[in-house]
Amino acid sequence: MFELLGAGLADVAQAKYLVPLVLGTLAGIVGGALPGVTITMTIIVVLPFTFGLDPLQGLSAMTGVYVGGSAGGLVTAVLLGIPGTPSAIATTFDGHPMARNGEPGRAVWTGVWASVFGGLLGGVFLIGTTGPLARIALEFGPWEFFSLFVLALSMVAGLVEASILKGLLAGALGLVVTVLGNDPVMGRERLTLGISWLEGGIPFLPVLIGVFAFSQIMGEIERPRGAAARDAALRVSKLAVNQLRVIWEILSRPFLLLWSSLIGVLIGVLPAIGGSAASVMAYDQAKKFSRHPERFGKGAPEGIVASEASNNANVGGSLVTIMAFGIPGDAVTAVMLGALTIHGIQSGPLFISQNPQLAYGMFAAYLIAHLVMVVILAFGVRWMVRATTVPRSALYPVVLVLCVVGAYALGNSVATVYVLLVFGVLGYLMVKFGFPLAPFILGVILGDQIEINLIRALMTDSDLWLFLTRPISGGLLAASVLSFAAAIWQHRRMQNRARAAEGDTDF
Amino acid sequence: MLSRDGWGGLAVAAASLLLFGLTLGLKDNPMVPIGPGFYPRIVLGLTAALGITLLVLDLLRSRRRRLSGDAKSSASVQPDHLAVAIHFGVFGLYVVALPYLGFRIATVLYVAAANALLEPPRGLKGWARVAALALLTTIAAYVVFERYLLVLLPRGRWTGF
Repeated sequence: MFELLGAGLADVAQAKYLVPLVLGTLAGIVGGALPGVTITMTIIVVLPFTFGLDPLQGLSAMTGVYVGGSAGGLVTAVLLGIPGTPSAIATTFDGHPMARNGEPGRAVWTGVWASVFGGLLGGVFLIGTTGPLARIALEFGPWEFFSLFVLALSMVAGLVEASILKGLLAGALGLVVTVLGNDPVMGRERLTLGISWLEGGIPFLPVLIGVFAFSQIMGEIERPRGAAARDAALRVSKLAVNQLRVIWEILSRPFLLLWSSLIGVLIGVLPAIGGSAASVMAYDQAKKFSRHPERFGKGAPEGIVASEASNNANVGGSLVTIMAFGIPGDAVTAVMLGALTIHGIQSGPLFISQNPQLAYGMFAAYLIAHLVMVVILAFGVRWMVRATTVPRSALYPVVLVLCVVGAYALGNSVATVYVLLVFGVLGYLMVKFGFPLAPFILGVILGDQIEINLIRALMTDSDLWLFLTRPISGGLLAASVLSFAAAIWQHRRMQNRARAAEGDTDF
Repeated sequence: MLSRDGWGGLAVAAASLLLFGLTLGLKDNPMVPIGPGFYPRIVLGLTAALGITLLVLDLLRSRRRRLSGDAKSSASVQPDHLAVAIHFGVFGLYVVALPYLGFRIATVLYVAAANALLEPPRGLKGWARVAALALLTTIAAYVVFERYLLVLLPRGRWTGF
């Protein structure tokens, strides 16, 4: 393992791979710093640039975006009080007050170094667990894979806070997308509705790009002017700090760092929950464990450390599931999964054994991206703040043109651009009707695999009980039912609390 | 009166049942015991059931609301749906025009239109900004993708450009 990692580090240190990694990290930091532009949108924009690159170059660039984006959001969160990405929301709670108290440099660099340490701890988890988990997955038959995918889908649907029913329905709608066009087992045409571009099925990347890019951009466009007015930027003249002191401030709280990173990693492993939940949860835990919870919200460094360490460790966790099981942990890894498919590489349990150079190259890119991120931020923090002044009127048309190029380049066909438009409208409507996008996308990604494994299992043995009696498959289905029951219980508890609160005030 | 949930559930249930009906026309392959309609029927049946559940729950909720005399308070900030519809329209025109006008002409027109709609230009300077953004975006995208990344962008059937 260490030999392969060493070889991966040596590979990625070459200019051929380092340049895309640096550019990807830079794009991630800038995209992360821009309020209203998420890491998902940034990686969607970067995707078409990777088509002409070799797989490791493309994945290095994307890993850079992921790592850079997770840290980029903290700059605006701290200096402007506006989280650049949802995963930096918890950083705002203490980062901005600390900056306002006259210590913007300390606030920014505490966040940056916490991101680095959290990210590296996530990296240790990623490198240490991907191989063993992939080996376990190699023992899986179609029954186990079917149950694993059902578990992933039910977890995501159940974790939706607003409505479990809508979460389930969104996941089921994602599965419907995969039944249109063709049958993945025999390749026979079905349910094309007379539309010629549906004949080959619907490719998932234009769906993902359309759903996420449009729901976000149109969501911003519908906000009345002035609603997004920003606070005046803080003066950023005092960003220079004693770096060793900041590093010591973080390392002198080893429990906080480890616990926050662990929360980040575990939430990253669970599909489609994301860095925002990880950072808020870690922040909440840090406050609960603190001897001085009253300091939180007023510029406590612990709050920044917890939030940033967990959201960067989250990246490592998300990469584990895509590399070991082929299940994307979030929208960003879903795009990476698509990039792998474009290069003819199948992610999943065989990925690491069949493509060790690529897999360890990705690990190396992940580790090096953290150092690149520090260097970029050391020189470019001031520019990041200026980048936030790019007008939306210029940014959104350019982003949508890049989405069109990305969709078109997937098959050199305008048909994929139609898919982009149709699912752009659908994504926007889903958000307006309160349907969550994460289960929908996971349904689109896993639909074919669920069908293939179900049919394979039934063709091997038509006994349906095997799904329950095979120990791993049965265990996974039981976990699926349990997670769903837990989600219902939690949902009811929240509803009862809300009702009680209404009763208290309703006098 | 149905709320958004009810309409959403109704639309999903109707579409699922329609597709479910279409799966009944799919012929099984004699060589394979499980036909191409087997899995779609499961998925569409599930979707229809969930859509109907959403609709029924919404009807029950609205009945409860009516009985208790509750009225929903209006939102404080009204979203600008017209702006969204216009932007979708402009983007739709761009997508439709792509194969006829070609990437370069269609993109210049789209970026200019979208930019002008998002920030209406004032005076000559404003229009110069719109034109500059449209031209720069198109040239940069064309050079990077077609020249360096070897993505052959669409040529126009009408323009040949």
